[in-house]
Amino acid sequence: MTAPIGPIRPIPIAEPSTPAVGQAKPGEFGSLLDKAISQVEDSRHMANDKVARFLDGKPEELHSVVLTAQRAQLEFELFLEVRNKVVQAYQEIMRMQV
Amino acid sequence: MSLFSVLSVSASGMQVQRTRAELLAENLANAETTRTPEGGAYRRKDAVFASTSVNSPFSSAFDAAMRPEVMGVEVSEVVSDTREPDRRYMPNHPDADKSGYVDFPRVNPAEDMVDLMGAARNYEANVAAISAIKDMIHRSLDLFR
Amino acid sequence: MLLGERGKATMLDGIGANIERYMDLVSLRQKLVAGNIANADTPGYTTKDIDFQAELQSAMEARDAGIVERTDLPAKSDGNNVSIDREARLLSENALRFSVASQFARGALQAVRSAINGGRNT
Repeated sequence: MTAPIGPIRPIPIAEPSTPAVGQAKPGEFGSLLDKAISQVEDSRHMANDKVARFLDGKPEELHSVVLTAQRAQLEFELFLEVRNKVVQAYQEIMRMQV
Repeated sequence: MSLFSVLSVSASGMQVQRTRAELLAENLANAETTRTPEGGAYRRKDAVFASTSVNSPFSSAFDAAMRPEVMGVEVSEVVSDTREPDRRYMPNHPDADKSGYVDFPRVNPAEDMVDLMGAARNYEANVAAISAIKDMIHRSLDLFR
Repeated sequence: MLLGERGKATMLDGIGANIERYMDLVSLRQKLVAGNIANADTPGYTTKDIDFQAELQSAMEARDAGIVERTDLPAKSDGNNVSIDREARLLSENALRFSVASQFARGALQAVRSAINGGRNT
């Protein structure tokens, strides 16, 4: 990790079937969002399961538990950022004089 | 088996090496003991080790069933020397028998000294293992930061 | 989602399934070393190990890695074949590998987090 990382533009979460936001047909965006939400939820459940299994004494590696939890957290943060960007973009569009 | 349970494995290693060292020290101290409360010369004691599964608070029955655990170790028994004592002709010794022979322990101090050093070294190796495992646990937790 | 795809090198490698699997294997090997050290004087005990390089190449889950009894190593008169020198060396090696891998993962996590949060204030 040597090069500085610049801020990322909003990227579609649900690869590979994601068109750019502006090209989505009505209704498609809603289902994209649902898909993204469920992916974040799945990650969160997986992480919670791992933690529960680990605390139960079941064979989970500690580093695996931490990595899974961190990934779930990052996916959630990513999702939040994308959502924020999308809301911002929507508000800008609404502000435009037609 | 989790990293935490493995700490118990290394701890069991430390325990047996300590017992081994204690018995060797006792043998060395009694290398010339001709008279014991049980009667007769001192008989050397040796520990017999055996692999054992180590139950730690962090393992569960599920854990044990899943895959063969890393085995710990225990002292399964302490054996007393059953051989005939070393008989030396010393007619003026207070413990000499009618023929003038004294029973001495079958302890070879040089051998036991070397063994004692081995026990100390292996004890340290178990300490090093605990240290390495603890470090891995800390590094795993560091991923949170 | 963030596990990445096989064959493409990205920033996500540091937090993907590969690094986790690597750490699983190093961790497993280290546990076996600890067991060998504890049993260094147990009569009849055979050194346990995994074929690290082979397991790295294979696609299998680390938890299914084959534990090998190293009967090829020379034994003492009581049947025990643990070499403290070998185990001590492996202890250090594995500790180093795990350390490097976890550092790598940490850096990657921080990088991904920066990338996500860096766009916040635009």
